[in-house]
Formats: sequence, structure tokens, C-alpha cells
Amino acid sequence: MISVGIDAGSATTKAVLVKDDSSIIQSIRSTEFDFVSAAEKAYEDVLEIAGIDRKEVDHVYSTGYGRNSIKFADGSISEITAHAKGVHHLYPDVEGIIDIGGQDSKVISVNKGKVTDFLMNDKCAAGTGKFVEYTARALEVPIEELAKMALASKSPAGISSMCTVFAESEVISLRAKGYSKEDIAAGIIESIARRVAVMARQIGLKRNVAFVGGVAKNAAIKAALEKELGISLYVLPEPQITGALGAALHGSN
Amino acid sequence: MPEENMQCFKTLEYLKNSYGERIHQISDERKSGKKLVGTFCLFVPDEIIFAAGADRVILCGGKNDTVSIAEQYLPRNICPLVKSSFGSIVNDGCSGIKSCSHFSMVDMIVAENTCDSKKKMYELLGDYVPTYVIDLPQRPDTPEALKYFLSELEKFRDAMEQLTGNKVTTEGLRQEIRSSNETRQLLHRLYELRKRDPSPISGADVLKILQKQYFLSPDKLKEYLQMLINEVGSVEPGQVHKPRIMISGCPMPGGNTKVTEMIESKGGVIVTEESCTGTRSFWDLVDENKEPMTALAERYIKIPCSCMSPNDRRIDNILELAREFRIDGVIYYTLQFCHGYNIEKQKVQKALKEAGIPMLSIETDYSDSDVEQIGLRIDAFMEMIS
Ligand code: SF4
Ligand code: SF4
Repeated sequence: MISVGIDAGSATTKAVLVKDDSSIIQSIRSTEFDFVSAAEKAYEDVLEIAGIDRKEVDHVYSTGYGRNSIKFADGSISEITAHAKGVHHLYPDVEGIIDIGGQDSKVISVNKGKVTDFLMNDKCAAGTGKFVEYTARALEVPIEELAKMALASKSPAGISSMCTVFAESEVISLRAKGYSKEDIAAGIIESIARRVAVMARQIGLKRNVAFVGGVAKNAAIKAALEKELGISLYVLPEPQITGALGAALHGSN
Repeated sequence: MPEENMQCFKTLEYLKNSYGERIHQISDERKSGKKLVGTFCLFVPDEIIFAAGADRVILCGGKNDTVSIAEQYLPRNICPLVKSSFGSIVNDGCSGIKSCSHFSMVDMIVAENTCDSKKKMYELLGDYVPTYVIDLPQRPDTPEALKYFLSELEKFRDAMEQLTGNKVTTEGLRQEIRSSNETRQLLHRLYELRKRDPSPISGADVLKILQKQYFLSPDKLKEYLQMLINEVGSVEPGQVHKPRIMISGCPMPGGNTKVTEMIESKGGVIVTEESCTGTRSFWDLVDENKEPMTALAERYIKIPCSCMSPNDRRIDNILELAREFRIDGVIYYTLQFCHGYNIEKQKVQKALKEAGIPMLSIETDYSDSDVEQIGLRIDAFMEMIS
């Protein structure tokens, strides 16, 4: 059985090919303007790497923001279900998932790979990758350095605005007051962690929690979330592909 | 969204013409001197209005276009129902946006002290249309509250007599109570049919008639309901089980069908609504054997609206509905800035969790800006409960 999952996200498009539920081949591309052509290309990537012809593929399932525009897919599932399936495959003990992406953040409670509850924040940028991106800009540091800087701070500056636009001006006024870059960076990270932790607590994530999504690679956010929640988080080696993997697995059973 | 086992009901085709017909009817009535009152809420007893020989139409707004008109006067952060209604009433047409015609036809608004946004809106509306406000006690379960509410209804009855010049008689009230109970019983029969699995009628279709419940004349409404019940009752039993959804929360006035349609286009079927465009409007009957004014006060004060405190009756009712209608999942629907229903969500969530019933909460407004995000949540919820 060969099945492919495509996660058509707004920033990146991921394709995963699964053969007989075990070997996993993946491709990550930036989505750019056209969801459909990005999906098409990512699909071709995995076929080529695997050396498999399109005709040999049994199922293609899509997920992600552009899931309904991928016409060559046999069907689609939501990102929530897809992440749960994908993470469960790589981390069978998983009971909770925290996913911080560029546009939204989600918390999912999982039992044996099935979603039992979830919450999403997608109405505003607070608690998402965008929040980090904008506030880092106000701090005039590249986003990659933000984490390192934050980890060096001893007393994080308090940032209270939930709204990204106001937080940006709050950062500027902290700069004017003479706070160090490290402390402001740590403040930014704490603010997003606090926001996401509220959601995680609402659905009662307590044990075996995986941290996925584009932001999961940020060590400072992980540390801040762990401190906020008082648990340690498990970061998958490839935190970006769990959605596409879940979609592929959905096809294979 | 016509689906395999969802029928097209003729009644709902006829219902499409009912707006124009009703507008004709009220203009004729007004020419002959009959008064028309506009209402916003279930707490205003129809029976008293009709017994005074007036007619009534609901003024709750569900349309998005008039929201922007209201925003010239009202703060942005109040619920869209209030904004849409207010915008429809104060609309002078200058902006090119049209209000539905009935908004400009009422002789008097009969308001009620429920949530803060509405209370304050009524104070402003008084500048445009004569507005009468019924006060409500907010602790419904005490004998004092009932006594007070009864006195408020008596004052309201006097105000209606003054408006129409007619006397409200005990016999008149009894007759109207019987008539309204008939409507309630018809609605019970329609909802009884929805208990079948699969349900023979979609929630979107039921909403079409419920949104007209307080707009049409009672006779016309009963006629439509009877026709619809006959049609729905003879639908061949379907085979495909779809997740059975209950909506619980804020009302969905005419013009607002967004979430209902989304739920059903994503594979669920709404089989009951714990809402003012749902069970809250007809669940309890008025006792026909009691003195009419007391019977009305007793029935109306028990409406489980979130402006009441405590409002545990609502929680019990939700659990009872979930059992009776064999609900697979509840979609808790609220309008942005409706603090009452938004806060009460905590209690509902807890009770449903204990009962093992999944719940998804959706907070939205009348615009289409969040359709994608809501769609994703509903997809995930359907996958979760299927
Ligand atoms: S929700 Fe409450 S205030 Fe609104 S119409 Fe219903 S009973 Fe009245
Ligand atoms: S929806 Fe809520 S805030 Fe809006 S009028 Fe009704 S009770 Fe008030």
C-alpha cells in the first residue's frame, strides 16, 4: 500500500509518501502564491525520491489551509485530525499536542491517535509565529537569534499586550526605557508561551505532550512553555511534517 | 446544499413569499387603525399584545449590512444582533443600504430589560420610535421575582390597552393563550419528527420557519407548521446516519444562517437548537387552567436566558435535550461580545463533559471574514465525533 499526504499550508507545502505504513519519504516546499502548483510539485518530489510512478499510488489525502483546492487528492481531512494521526505514528504514547504555526496555534488532546478535544487560536496573531516575527522586527534582531538572546536573559521584561500591533509598540517603548535586548526578547517569548499555555490548560494537557509546527524548533519558546506548564515537551525530529504524514496514514487505513 | 436524503419541502417554497404577503397584511391592518408593535425578545408575551387587538413583528436583526450603520452610533464591541437591529431601525437610507420594510412600520417598540447592550440600545431607540420597556427581575426563582414580574406584565397590559384603545379581557387572554399553546404544540410535533435517525429535515430548513416565528401572524405560522409537519412526517426513512448536532447559545435571527449552513454542508445534521430561535421559544406551555396573567408570568419568567442568574435551568434543559434527541455533539454558538452566553459556556462545557458529550465552541459575528477558520473547526469536530 502506497499513500501520499499533502499538507497545503499557507507558508510551506509538505508532502509525505508512506509505503506499507513504515518507510516515510518527505518533501517541504515554500507555498508561494499558488497552493495547487506547490502541492503538485511537492507530490512530484516524493514520487521521484521514492522512484514510484503516480499510477502506483493508492491514495492521496490533503490537509492544511488549502486542503480543498487540491483536486488530485481523493479527499481531505482537517489539520487537527491529521496532526493527531501523524504525531501518534511517530510518538505512540502521545496524549496532547501543541502546534504553533505561522498563522495560528492549536492545542489538541489525543487518545490512542484519536482527537478527543481541541482549541484553536486563529483570529488574531497573538500566540502565533507572526507575533514572534513582528515583535522581533521591533527589536531589530533576526528571528533566528531571538531564541538565543532570550535564553541569555535573567529577568524577562513584562509584555502585556495580546495584540501584535500594540506589543510591537510596547517593545519599542521598552527599548526607549533602556531594557536590554535579551530581556525584551525573553519577554516576547514568555508572552507567546503564556498565551498558548492558557489554551493547553483549558483542555487539560498534562502528560506526553508533543510540540509541533514551525515554531517548535525554537528552543526558547519550548523552554518558556515547559516552565509555564510545568511539564517537559517532546519535540519530534521533523515537527513540520506531522500533518502531511497524518493525511497519508488516513489514506492507508 | 441539497443532499441525498434531504428533501425539498413545498412548504418552504411557499414560505419564500410569506414576507411580501405579511407586509401587505400589516399595511392593510395599519390603514384600518390596527396598531403594530415591534419586539426583540421571548420575554415579551405575544398573548397580551394580541389580546389588546394589536399585531406584532420581531425586530431582531440578523443581517450584516446594517451593522455598519449602527456603528456610527454604537461602540464597535457590542453584539452584532444589537448592532444589526439598531442599524435597521435608525437607517435613513442615505448610505444606500436597505433595511427590511417592516422595521419602519411599527407604532411602538416593546422592549425588555435583559442584557446590558439591549437595555442601553432601547434608551437610544426611544428617540426614533416610542419604546415601552418591561422590566425583568433577574433572579427568577424567588416568589418576590414572580410577583414583581406579574406587576410588570400588568403595567404592560395597561400600556397596550392605552395604545390600542381596546380592553384586554380575561376571556381574550385565555383565547390567545390557547392559540399560542397550539403553536407551541405544533413546534413540539415538528421537533418530535427530528428525533428520528436520520432526521427527516435539516436544521437549515427548520431555521427558515423558526426565523419567521415572531414575524408571521400566528394563524399563518400555524398553517405553515401544519403543512410542514405533514410533509416531514411522510418522508421515507433515510439510511445514512449523520452526526446529530445540537446548537446551543445565542439566537439566530432572520438573515443569519452562516453557521447552520456550514455545519450541514460539512456532513452533520442539526436536530435541535437550545436557543431563542429554537426550543427556548416553545418548550414550556402556558397553564390554561390558571388565572391568565399569573399563568403568563409563571411561564415567561422561566425562559432560561443567560441574563438570568442563576440560570441552572438552562444546563438541565441542555442535558435533557441532548438525551432526548440522541445528540452526538453540541456546537456552542455565540455572538461576539455577548457576555452572558459566552461566560455561561464554562458551565455548559463542564456539564457536557461530565455527561460525555463533545462540544465545540464557535464565537462569531455576522460577517464572512471567519468562514475558513470556522470551517476548519467544524471539519475537525465532525471527524472527531464520527
Ligand atoms: S437570548 Fe435572552 S435576551 Fe435574547 S431573545 Fe432570547 S430571551 Fe431574549
Ligand atoms: S445575543 Fe447576547 S448580547 Fe446580543 S442581544 Fe442577545 S443576549 Fe444581548
